[in-house]
Amino acid sequence: MDVDVRSLDASSVVDSLKSIYSLVLLLVLWEVVTRMGLIYPYFLPQLSVVIDEFVLLVSSGQMIHAAYLTLMRAFVGLAGAAVAGVVIGILCARNALFEWFFDPIIKIGYPVPVISLVPVFMLWFGIGDVSKIIMVVVGTFWPVAVNARDATRQVDRNLIRSARMMGTGDRRLLWRVILPAASPGIFTGLQIATPIALIITFVFEMVAGGGGLGALEIAGVRGFNSAQTYAVIFAIIAIGLVLDRLLRAARTRLLDWT
Amino acid sequence: MDGRIGISHLEKVYGEGSERTKAIDDLSFDIDGGEFTSVVGPSGCGKSTLLYIIAGFLDITNGTVSVDGTPIDGPGTDRGVVFQDYALFPWRTVKENVLYGLEEAGVPDEEADATAQRFIDMMDLSGFENKYPKELSGGMKQRVALARTLAYDPKILLMDEPFGALDQPLRETLQDQLIDIWGDLDKTVVFITHDVEEAVYLSERVMIMTRHPGTKKTVTEVDLDRSRPREDIVTSEEFTRKKNEVWRSLREETKSEVQP
Repeated sequence: MDVDVRSLDASSVVDSLKSIYSLVLLLVLWEVVTRMGLIYPYFLPQLSVVIDEFVLLVSSGQMIHAAYLTLMRAFVGLAGAAVAGVVIGILCARNALFEWFFDPIIKIGYPVPVISLVPVFMLWFGIGDVSKIIMVVVGTFWPVAVNARDATRQVDRNLIRSARMMGTGDRRLLWRVILPAASPGIFTGLQIATPIALIITFVFEMVAGGGGLGALEIAGVRGFNSAQTYAVIFAIIAIGLVLDRLLRAARTRLLDWT
Repeated sequence: MDGRIGISHLEKVYGEGSERTKAIDDLSFDIDGGEFTSVVGPSGCGKSTLLYIIAGFLDITNGTVSVDGTPIDGPGTDRGVVFQDYALFPWRTVKENVLYGLEEAGVPDEEADATAQRFIDMMDLSGFENKYPKELSGGMKQRVALARTLAYDPKILLMDEPFGALDQPLRETLQDQLIDIWGDLDKTVVFITHDVEEAVYLSERVMIMTRHPGTKKTVTEVDLDRSRPREDIVTSEEFTRKKNEVWRSLREETKSEVQP
């Protein structure tokens, strides 16, 4: 990565701290309050202890492996939901039979708090990777499908007419016009689905184990090592932040025409 | 010359049962190849419906519409449509928009590129090839839409109030540009507008449609020497006379709207 040394001078460090000053203040407050012994350390260990634990978990490879498991489950599931959701969403918008079949299912399925189905998934698919991945697929399918469907329905009719006039046939129309025209909406669906995929994976890992950040986090509470729990929460926050930024950057790059 | 449009006893009905409304009733009209025809009429007279039928977007209830003797069967590259809202592909740059029809026709890259560039230059869009539509003004978007349509060389241009969303000076510029193109490229043009002056200024014939259901009311032949500058044309006695003729005929229809 390109790092401009000049940008690392004191004033720019101060500037970047200023932009998150309230956060810094809270962290300082955390350290002060816990050092003064105002809070029972098991409930909230000192920030410095949590940071030490974080460094230990990362350097021992435990955190990396857990993050790998979690991200793998979340993204394999998300990929499945993306394919199924985009295909079914577009078909619903373009084909009356699909609309007739799937619209009621989507209407009922979207609002279901899918986390409530974890026990059923454990019953049916066990507690391994497959079970978690299927759950992510089921949980993230809805926002992807609904956004793909609505974006396809909203494609300007005159764009399709123009393309047809210029010789685009039925089959090519999908690739040439409908997909690109609907791509901002489809991307929005994926942006909504990404944190949902992570939430489902974390919760399932907490409940069913099998490794991953969720399991590591709850193991801290169960093993009377709450610093581990907070260290994992830091990792989860960081992953959430990085993914959000990556998706935004990808959006500006891929959809610079919007 | 190719690009003839034949409309015979055309009838268009929307909806069914109690929702049934007749948009166009028994309309017969022939347009010669290379002719510039405007269609004016009160709003809701079915003039856009007529255009979309010629484009092949809408089915015909009764009668026939044909291009060079062949009945219309859906959209096709022998015709090109220019919409009021431009309908540019927002994910494609100016150049890529103009290239679209050529890509679909399978024109080799180099040739397509040269053709696209020719129409981009013709429409005064040079320097904007790599801009996206969102970066362009309304007038420029409509120029891109025209360049895109002209690039794949349809015989017939179907224009649905193309300059309706633009301000007066811009409209005039584009009108003059359109006259030049029409003179150079030998296109049949069907131009929908509600602006009487625009219709008379541009076209060889102006068809006025009745209110509802729409059909041919009168046809005014306009024989102006269009090689003269705009100010000479619009101040000429001939222009004013034709404008008044169309205006009076149209006025009868809009009046009947107020007095049922």
